[in-house]
Amino acid sequence: MSKRNLFALIFFVIMAVFLFISSLMMHPFGNPEKTNMDDEIIENAQIETGTNNGVTSVVFDYRGFDTLGEATILFTAVAGVIMIFRRMNK
Amino acid sequence: MNGMSRIVKTIASITFPLVMIYGLYIIAHGHLTPGGGFQGGAVVASGCAMILIAYGSVWTLGKIKEKNLSILESVGAICFITLAILGLGFGTVFFKNFLIGSEIIFGIIPSFGSTISNINTAGVIPLMNFAVGLKVIAGLFGIVLIMAYASTRRDKY
Amino acid sequence: MILDAIHILLPILIIASSLFAVLLKDLIAAAIAVAAMSLLLSLEFFILQAPDVAIAEAGVGACLTTAILVIAIKSTKRMEDEK
Repeated sequence: MSKRNLFALIFFVIMAVFLFISSLMMHPFGNPEKTNMDDEIIENAQIETGTNNGVTSVVFDYRGFDTLGEATILFTAVAGVIMIFRRMNK
Repeated sequence: MNGMSRIVKTIASITFPLVMIYGLYIIAHGHLTPGGGFQGGAVVASGCAMILIAYGSVWTLGKIKEKNLSILESVGAICFITLAILGLGFGTVFFKNFLIGSEIIFGIIPSFGSTISNINTAGVIPLMNFAVGLKVIAGLFGIVLIMAYASTRRDKY
Repeated sequence: MILDAIHILLPILIIASSLFAVLLKDLIAAAIAVAAMSLLLSLEFFILQAPDVAIAEAGVGACLTTAILVIAIKSTKRMEDEK
């Protein structure tokens, strides 16, 4: 076994043990530990933003800057792809 | 990429309006049902990619140019940022929901709890959904279209 | 009862299709395995009560990624090189 394979094996074992321990320490499904932000948004989102859909009120109103960053990433990706392939098409 | 057989073209033509209706429904009802601009835009772009695979990229590029798709994507981005800046102008902060409570459009506030869905709610959020949906449709379909067209022209290189 | 069985069965199918995607030598078959993994993952998101993420995953992961991968494979070689 070469040195590179040995290093990969050690790293794999460490990663597997870490993932196994962290999966044992997870909360049960549907019972988060801290619910301050959830209760705040569930109580106030329907009155403040007027949406019946809480997820959309978070995405477009409370966390609007996140959506702005996502739109910027998509714009940059499209601009890069079109810049590369437009030169190939000529 | 050339077009496929007649069977594939017929089935794609039959299925295309259903996919369009589903995706546009997700975009338009983004503030009432699960989904929103990005999800509905991805569904509509998937339907357009199905037409592209069935009919070939040369035929599709005769119908719509990638320059127009690029312009549409920029229009979506500009609408999104303009709505955010209008919140700064009419309200107090960036991304302020300034249409809520007004009588112009989308101004009704539903009462607390599980209520009957009214599409005339949620202020500026449906307009942002439309802007982001336009942006995602044009962006994703533009990427797929120009990559498919470049793969047909590779024999020159 | 049925939901518990689905909760156990779906991750096994996801892992199996990802293993197929890594191990197959035919690149088109590997792309189809990636699409199947993405579709099963969207079903998993749906039964974990996140329909937003499920719709996005089914649209982007199962359709557009497969289309881009197939286009890229068509303009290169189909089979993987043997060393």
